[in-house]
Amino acid sequence: MSAPVVAADHLSKWYGQVIGLNDVSVEVGPGITGLLGPNGAGKSTLLKLITGQLKPSKGGVAVLGEPVWDNPPLFFRLGVCPEQDAFYERMTGLEWVTALVRLNGLSEAEAAGAARAALETVDLLGAADRKIGAYSKGMRQRVKLAQAVAHDPELLVLDEPLAGMDPIARRKVIRLIKDRAARGGSVLVSSHVLHEIEEMTATILLMHNGRILAEGNIHTIRGLIDEHPHKVRIRAADPRGLARGLIVHDDVSSVQFEEDAVMLETRRPDAFYGRLTEAAATGALGEIHEVSSPDDNLQAVFDYLVK
Amino acid sequence: MSSPREPRPPRPTPTPPSFPASVSRVYDLAFGRMLWSRRTVFMALVVGGPVAVALMLRVLVSTDLLDAAGVVDGRPVTVDGPTIFGLMVWGFYLSFSVPLLGVFYGTSLIADEVEDKTVTYLFTRPVPRGAVLVGKYLAYLVCAGLLVLPSVMLVFFLVTPLLGGSIGAGFPDLLKDFALLAAGLAVYGALFALVGAVFKRPLLTGLVFVFGWEPIVLVVPGYMKRFTVSYYLQGLVPHALPRDGEVTGFLLEALRANEVLPSAAAGAAGLAVIALGGLGLAVRLVRRREYVLEQ
Repeated sequence: MSAPVVAADHLSKWYGQVIGLNDVSVEVGPGITGLLGPNGAGKSTLLKLITGQLKPSKGGVAVLGEPVWDNPPLFFRLGVCPEQDAFYERMTGLEWVTALVRLNGLSEAEAAGAARAALETVDLLGAADRKIGAYSKGMRQRVKLAQAVAHDPELLVLDEPLAGMDPIARRKVIRLIKDRAARGGSVLVSSHVLHEIEEMTATILLMHNGRILAEGNIHTIRGLIDEHPHKVRIRAADPRGLARGLIVHDDVSSVQFEEDAVMLETRRPDAFYGRLTEAAATGALGEIHEVSSPDDNLQAVFDYLVK
Repeated sequence: MSSPREPRPPRPTPTPPSFPASVSRVYDLAFGRMLWSRRTVFMALVVGGPVAVALMLRVLVSTDLLDAAGVVDGRPVTVDGPTIFGLMVWGFYLSFSVPLLGVFYGTSLIADEVEDKTVTYLFTRPVPRGAVLVGKYLAYLVCAGLLVLPSVMLVFFLVTPLLGGSIGAGFPDLLKDFALLAAGLAVYGALFALVGAVFKRPLLTGLVFVFGWEPIVLVVPGYMKRFTVSYYLQGLVPHALPRDGEVTGFLLEALRANEVLPSAAAGAAGLAVIALGGLGLAVRLVRRREYVLEQ
């Protein structure tokens, strides 16, 4: 068996009286691993410990065979895409990625080259000279991803990387993640949307209440999805037209309108997302700005699992 | 299948950039951002105040509304341009603008990144956390210097020639003032970088220190004044202010009467200890501290 890229040993983290992570021992192998759990499950805490942003309260964690806390050289081998939507808004995408890659010791010219290549990878080169403040949500997610991959790390840690992306951008990012794994890189990616993780990998860690609830193959819990309707919120130029086009399919069980969006329930997310991506690509149902999946999808599955 | 065909063989870890090289990279990243920030616009207005006052003085003198002769403490005195300039350096810059710049920029070096949730990008790069702080501190020094020094220079050229003063004769004093102001910026910045690393509400703590603690403690007899920056800066003031002005003489007399003047050497040593100690402690704290970003 290959050496683990991440090894946590009785890892715990608490914030005052609140337990963020509770005695987690787990080994993450090479390839893509999905970290799945509802909000508050401890995913972000685990990722912050793995990326050296937090210090364990108890136990330890090794990344690529090395301790990560206070170990700056490890970040040559590690790329981090955090969850928060935070940037230097007045910088252009190219300036921002270049400036961050320069911190890896690259010269200005090398860093600019690496930044351009990374922006091209996430299909953002055309907007490289625009200020980040003017980027859409999906573009912001992609530029965040670009800074994480620009130095070609061995391990990529992505915290909810698909949140708020439109279907086409989602597909591109999923392809990028899979390509990296195919070229021998490792990716640890978190999400509270099972369907997203399922598109990337079959290897998952299921988290709940600060613990690893299950680890292994995604298919063991896949069947539960069909028992729980999956909610999808779509922000679009014409939510009513979009709903009209989607409701004709029998897997869409309900539709609810919001101000500039529509919330749909489906019992077959695979088929639904396939159609949605197709519709976004052809523009058949108008412009789709953002697709998000509320947390209660997975919560229902977890509630069932922990009963 | 999502698993890799062949796990990538581990690559040799590149040699990390040296601490000074890391500091330089962080400086490059931070300087432009700091210079064009809203904070800098606000501070430009603050240091523009003395220039406005200097312009007003110039107008008053040119229209004969201001006389060089006056009475201080019952004694007749005459003031000249260099004396007014010296007093302005102490009153407007060293006692107000420089501490304010130190508080606003120093406390925000890391706090801003934490509040904006951008600290993750800096702390997940192969540079020591301490280099992030020092790089940003240097960016602050240059940025604050670019705000204060042109303002002082303008005031110098506006005020010094008034009432019989000479620009040429006063120029050495201008250079000493520059050095004193740079020292003040360095010391206040380092101190408040430490405050920013320690306290949850560093700006409020800094403002209380500068405009509450320092002015009060300085006039209270005893050793407590040694816990201020102003005390040590005052030790260097006589060497920066024009020495032959009568008004300056009264100011110095007043300071000495309260036993607030350390020697120049003690002042310089005290400032060096505060600057190096403050920055060193701040680096140590930033390196060890966890920054939990609010969701």
